[in-house]
Amino acid sequence: MGFRGLPLSLRVPLIAAGLMVLVGVVASQQVMAALGKVQQERLRELARLHVDGLAVALGPSVLRRDVWEVYDTLDRATAAMAGQRMILTVVADETGRVIAASDPQRAPVDSALDPLLPTAQAVDDLQLAGDARHVRVLADLAYQGRRVGQILSELDVADLVAERRRALALLLAGNALATLALATGGYLAMRRMLRPVSVLSSHMAATEGTPQAISPASIPTGDTELARLFLTYNAMTGAAGAAAEAERRLAERERFVSLGRLSSSLAHEINNPLGGLLNATDTIRAYADRPEVVRDAAALVDRGLRHLRDVARVTLEQNRLDRHGIALAPEDFDDLRLLFAPEALRLGQTLDWQVQAAPDVLAAWPSAPVRQIALNLLLNAATAAGPGGALAFAARAADDGLHLTIADSGPGLSPQAQARLLTDGPVPPGGGVGLRLVRDLVAGIGGRIDYARDAERSGIHVLLPAGAAPC
Amino acid sequence: MPGCNRRSFVGLCAAMLVAPVVLRAAEPIRLGLTPVFLDNDAEVIARLKAALGQGTGRPIELVQRRTYQEVTGLLLEGGADAAWLCGYPYLQHEQALALLGVPVWRGQPLYRSYLITGTDDPAAALADLRGGSHAFSDPDSNSGWLVTASDLARMGERPETFFTRTLFTYGHRNVVRAVAGGLMRSGSVDGYVWEALAAVEPGLTARTRVIARSEPLGFPPFVTRRASADSEAASLLRQALLTLADTAEGRAALDLLQLDGVIAGEGALFDGIRARMRDVQGV
Repeated sequence: MGFRGLPLSLRVPLIAAGLMVLVGVVASQQVMAALGKVQQERLRELARLHVDGLAVALGPSVLRRDVWEVYDTLDRATAAMAGQRMILTVVADETGRVIAASDPQRAPVDSALDPLLPTAQAVDDLQLAGDARHVRVLADLAYQGRRVGQILSELDVADLVAERRRALALLLAGNALATLALATGGYLAMRRMLRPVSVLSSHMAATEGTPQAISPASIPTGDTELARLFLTYNAMTGAAGAAAEAERRLAERERFVSLGRLSSSLAHEINNPLGGLLNATDTIRAYADRPEVVRDAAALVDRGLRHLRDVARVTLEQNRLDRHGIALAPEDFDDLRLLFAPEALRLGQTLDWQVQAAPDVLAAWPSAPVRQIALNLLLNAATAAGPGGALAFAARAADDGLHLTIADSGPGLSPQAQARLLTDGPVPPGGGVGLRLVRDLVAGIGGRIDYARDAERSGIHVLLPAGAAPC
Repeated sequence: MPGCNRRSFVGLCAAMLVAPVVLRAAEPIRLGLTPVFLDNDAEVIARLKAALGQGTGRPIELVQRRTYQEVTGLLLEGGADAAWLCGYPYLQHEQALALLGVPVWRGQPLYRSYLITGTDDPAAALADLRGGSHAFSDPDSNSGWLVTASDLARMGERPETFFTRTLFTYGHRNVVRAVAGGLMRSGSVDGYVWEALAAVEPGLTARTRVIARSEPLGFPPFVTRRASADSEAASLLRQALLTLADTAEGRAALDLLQLDGVIAGEGALFDGIRARMRDVQGV
């Protein structure tokens, strides 16, 4: 998980801590640069005093090339400054030949000064180089206005280096502590300030299905921006809940809607036999003494009543509120045909009905959603095909699932209808919810819907994989 | 003269007679000194001054000069009543100078010259030091120049050619410093001073090694001008020197100088130096 993957309540304090570290580093750099400059000036001043003092004392002796006097002066100066800054001082004549040194072993009399020169610096350009404990300074030795020799001194700057290290260590420790304290404080403050955002975030992250409103106690007081955000969120969750409820109710009603659309056909289906039944009862009353006539009339009444019973049963079956857990059976397709065939007949449409599935195979799918899917698509096809149109329904169980194909000779699905059936986008206004309900039911079973249109007919193909949803 | 009576007149006359004696008694005796002994010890100077002052009954003025030549010149021209000189300049001006006394060191009025090197130097004798650098004390010093120069003369050599570089430090202690510090490879030093330093500054002498010792030679004497050898100052000083060991002040000074006392001494004590002078002059 990268930095961007961290929660806001962690990222903001981390950024604050990072900025503090940056400020600390820059401040330390400034302090160290200032300290280095002060030390450098101090060292140059010391070197200048050292060299000038020796030059005054050594001038006449150097002029005379008096080895002993030069050595004596350097030796006494070394003894007087024991434990101080001077480590080695070499005095040479103007040709660079050593007259005497405070440590003759390192710079013997009459030897060349050259080997000591490479790291020597002029007094005015003297600088502390890194962690070097010693620096060498080279200066001309002037007497009576003329250059009579050179002085090279090696100075101990270990104390200055140590002082700089100590200052650096203190700065680092101080800055680290200050940064840690400020970063911790910043983290806690930011966490506290961003806690409402975390609450909002957790509510949104926890939302599955229906968004949950934030309790009024959790709405921050005094922070109008966040309070407005919370109230807006709560209003949004309310709206989402209301929309979901409306959708649920709409879907619930869709079953009645589809039946309502069939009601006139069903009324004919009930009304047509009623005339025959009433004639039969008149016949029975008129020919009560003729057994064969009564028998025929009773048989007619029996058939009519059975038909009425079937119609009532499928209507009731379609309206059963609790069909959950009932497996699909061939009878479901028979019921569908019984329900829908009168409507096709009413519209003068031809209906090609084919079901190829064994009962035990069909039991892998739930009854209620499959019935609703097929009925809604059939009703949609009947509307699209119009009077005298042609319809076809096919149900086929295969290895990859149950294939439902509904075709019609109508002009095809409008873009709005396709949006309802094939996408999860918002339902365009001005249409029913039947096709969107089909989409939701198919999605609930884990199925797929395809739409195809050729020159003469539109076909909707639904594939429902087996065992995708509990029966 | 008003208020003047016989008593006051006698008193005035007595005062006029006594005054020169008092003034004469208050004149200091001037003693010339060189770095022949521990030149850096102010306490030695003060003790010696106090002891001789007590011994002579006269204030002592110690006149210090850097070189033997300066002190000798000072004495010869009357700038000092006496001087503590080296045997070599004494012999150089034997006709003009007279002995006042010779210090006794370790029971004898004798000392030696030491030839020293650094402790790491492999040289075992003077001949091994050829081509090196060498520190002398003073061109008029017996132990600090004459002994080594005469030894070289006996080898047919001269210091300025035998050594690549020589220098004069004008102090025996300085010779030890020059060798101990590595400035010079070797040095000629007063054996008495080296031994005294070994007692008071062992850290300094420990960095040197004695590779040769001369035969015993006459200890640096106290001398005065022969012409004023019988003067009151010379007599008082001679007496004070010879009785130095008898007084507490004198013993304190002698202890600091690590000397036993002072004896009258005689010219024959310096025959060894005299012989070396001849050797050097013969080259």
